[in-house]
Amino acid sequence: MEEQMAKIDLSNISHTYNPLDPKPTYALNPFSMTWENGKRYAILGPSGCGKTTMLNIVSGLVRPSKGEILFDETPVTDLKTEDRNIAQVFQFPVIYNTMTVYDNLAFPLRCREFTKEKIEERVKAVSDTLNLSSFLNSPARKLTADQKQLISLGRGLVREDVAAVLMDEPLTVIDPDLKFRLRRNLKEINEQYKTTLVYVTHDQNEAMTFAENIIVMDQGEIVQVGLPKDLFEKPKTTFVGYFIGSPAMNIFHSTVSSDHEVKINDTTIKTNSNLGNLKDKNVKLGIRSEFIELAEKEKSNTVKIKLTRVEDFGNFKLLTGKMGDLVIKSKVEREKPIPDGELNLYFPPEKCCVYSDEKLV
Amino acid sequence: MSKLYTFLKYFFISFWTVFVVAPFLWAVSTSFKDFQSVNSKVTYIPWLDFEPTLEGWRVLIKSPAKGGVDIVEPYFNSIFVTCTASLISIVLGTLAAYALSRFTFKAGFVRNNDITFFFISQRIMPPIVLSIPFFIFLSTIGLLDSLLGLVVVYIVLLMPIAVWIMVDFFNRVPKELDETALIDGCNPYQAFYKVVLPNSIPGLIVAGMFCIIFGWIDFFFAFILTFTEVQLLPVKVVALNSSITPWWSLSASALVSVAPLIIVAFIVERYLSKGNLSGALK
Repeated sequence: MEEQMAKIDLSNISHTYNPLDPKPTYALNPFSMTWENGKRYAILGPSGCGKTTMLNIVSGLVRPSKGEILFDETPVTDLKTEDRNIAQVFQFPVIYNTMTVYDNLAFPLRCREFTKEKIEERVKAVSDTLNLSSFLNSPARKLTADQKQLISLGRGLVREDVAAVLMDEPLTVIDPDLKFRLRRNLKEINEQYKTTLVYVTHDQNEAMTFAENIIVMDQGEIVQVGLPKDLFEKPKTTFVGYFIGSPAMNIFHSTVSSDHEVKINDTTIKTNSNLGNLKDKNVKLGIRSEFIELAEKEKSNTVKIKLTRVEDFGNFKLLTGKMGDLVIKSKVEREKPIPDGELNLYFPPEKCCVYSDEKLV
Repeated sequence: MSKLYTFLKYFFISFWTVFVVAPFLWAVSTSFKDFQSVNSKVTYIPWLDFEPTLEGWRVLIKSPAKGGVDIVEPYFNSIFVTCTASLISIVLGTLAAYALSRFTFKAGFVRNNDITFFFISQRIMPPIVLSIPFFIFLSTIGLLDSLLGLVVVYIVLLMPIAVWIMVDFFNRVPKELDETALIDGCNPYQAFYKVVLPNSIPGLIVAGMFCIIFGWIDFFFAFILTFTEVQLLPVKVVALNSSITPWWSLSASALVSVAPLIIVAFIVERYLSKGNLSGALK
C-alpha cells in the first residue's frame, strides 16, 4: 500500500467571502493548527461558525484569503482539489444517480487509475464495512436516503491512501441506531487503517464519542482544542461552558474578593484559581452541574438555594434552585433524598472555573 | 357524485381527443381524395363515400417537369438543417449553460442573469427585426440561399432555447455533485462530462425536443433567406398552393411534415412516462 497519509498543517489561515469589501467580514479568523496523521478530530460549533469553510479550505474547494496549508510540510494551498488526495463527505447524500452502487464506490479509484483487481478488492472491503454488499449491482438512485449517504461515506473511505477523510455532519440523515454503529465503524476504520478522520458536527455527544481531539469553534474563531475531558472540566471560555454539556455550565456574575476567592451575591466561594491581579474586578464563576454536591449543612463553599424544580431523568435527578435571582442547576444521584424547600449546595474549589472577559483565568 | 365525476372526466377526455385527432383524420381522408370528392359534397369514408386515389401523394414525389412538386429534396434539406443546427445548439448551449450556472461572471454591470437574459432576448425579439440584418450578413459572407447559411441562422435561433432550459436544469443539480467529483479525482472537464452531464440527460432531451420543433416549423427565415438553390419543407408546402387549392396534396404534405415531430414526441413521451425525468434529482 502506498503510504500517502499526511500530517496536515493549517498555518495562519483566514478566510472572507467578500474580499473586495473595504471592511470584509471574516468567516474564519486567523488561526494555526496541526492535524496529526491517523488521529480522529471533531470540529464542533453552532451553525455558521465556519466549520464547513474550514473543511472546504482543506479539501481545496475554497482557497483561503490568507495563510497556507501544508500536507507533510509540502505547501498545497495552490493545488487543485483533484490533486490533493482528500476525501470529503457532505451533509446530504451526493451520489452519481446514473451509476450502480458498485460504480459509485469504484469511481474515485477509477479516476485515479487503480487496477481492476485493486478496485474490486477495495469496493468489496468498503461495502462489507458499510453493509452495502447486497446492493452493489442496483442503481444508486433506487436506494433510500441513508443508504445513499452510506455510498457517499463509502466513496470517502474507498481510497486507503487519502491524506484525510473530511466529513461534514455526515450522519444527519441516518437513523439513530445505525448512526451509533457507523460511528463505531468509523473508529475501527481509523484504528485499522490509520486514516485521519475529521468530523464536523454541532452535536456534542457525537463529537465526544467519536473524536480524540475536539476543536470547538464560535463565530469564525477556534475557542478551544482539547480532549473531551478538558472541554468538560476546564472550558477555556464561557461559550465552551455553555455549548458543551447538558445542562450547560452554571455561570454566575461575581466579584473577586481575595487571591483565591470570589463573591456571588454575599456568599464567598473558594477556588483554586490565582486571582491576585484581578482584585475587586467583576468576573464570572463557572461550575458544572455534575460537580455541585448536596451538603447536609451550611459549611465553607456552600450556597443556600431555594429549590424550584426537581426533574427525574431516570439515571439522575436535575435540581433547579434559586439563590436571589441566580438560577443554579445541579445533577444528583437518583437515590439521594431531596429535602424540600431550602437546601445547601457545595462547590468543590478544584471544580470552580473563574472567567475574566469570558476567558478562563 | 363520484360517478358523475367519472362520467364528466371521460366525457371531456373523449371530447378533447376528438378535437385533437379529428383534423388529422380529416387530413388523412382528404389526402386520398380527388378534385371531384373534395368539391362536390362532404364525404368521409373511402370506397363508400368516395373512390380513394393516390394522386395527392404522387404529386409530392413527381418532378416539376412532370407536373409534380417534388418535396423530397426540401424534406431532406429540412432534416439536415434542423438536426445540424439543433445538435450544434445543444452542444454550445449546454456548455454555455453550465458555465452560467457554475461560475460567476462580472463585466461592468453585467452578471450571470443578464447574460442568460441576453440569450432569451433573442427569442423575445420579433423575428422580422432580425430579417434584414441576417439577410445582409448572409449575403456578405456569401451564404445566402445555402444550407450552411440556414444552419448558421438556426443556431442563433435555437441556442437561446438550449441555454435557457439547461441553465435552469443545471441550477437544480446540486453544486456538491461537481465538488464530490473533484474530490474523487476528476478534473473540472471530467466532472462535467462524467458526472454532471449523465445526470442531465432528461434536460438535454427536453432541450433537444424544443430545438427540433422550433427548427422544423420555422417558415419565416427559410422563406426570406432562400430563393431557388435551396428550399426547406415549410416553404415548399406553402408553394404547393395555386389558384385551385390542391387540398389533397396539401393534406398529404401536411401529414408528412408533421410525421417527424410525431415520432419525436412519441420517443420523448416514452422517456417521460418512464419517470426518468422526474426522478433524476434527489
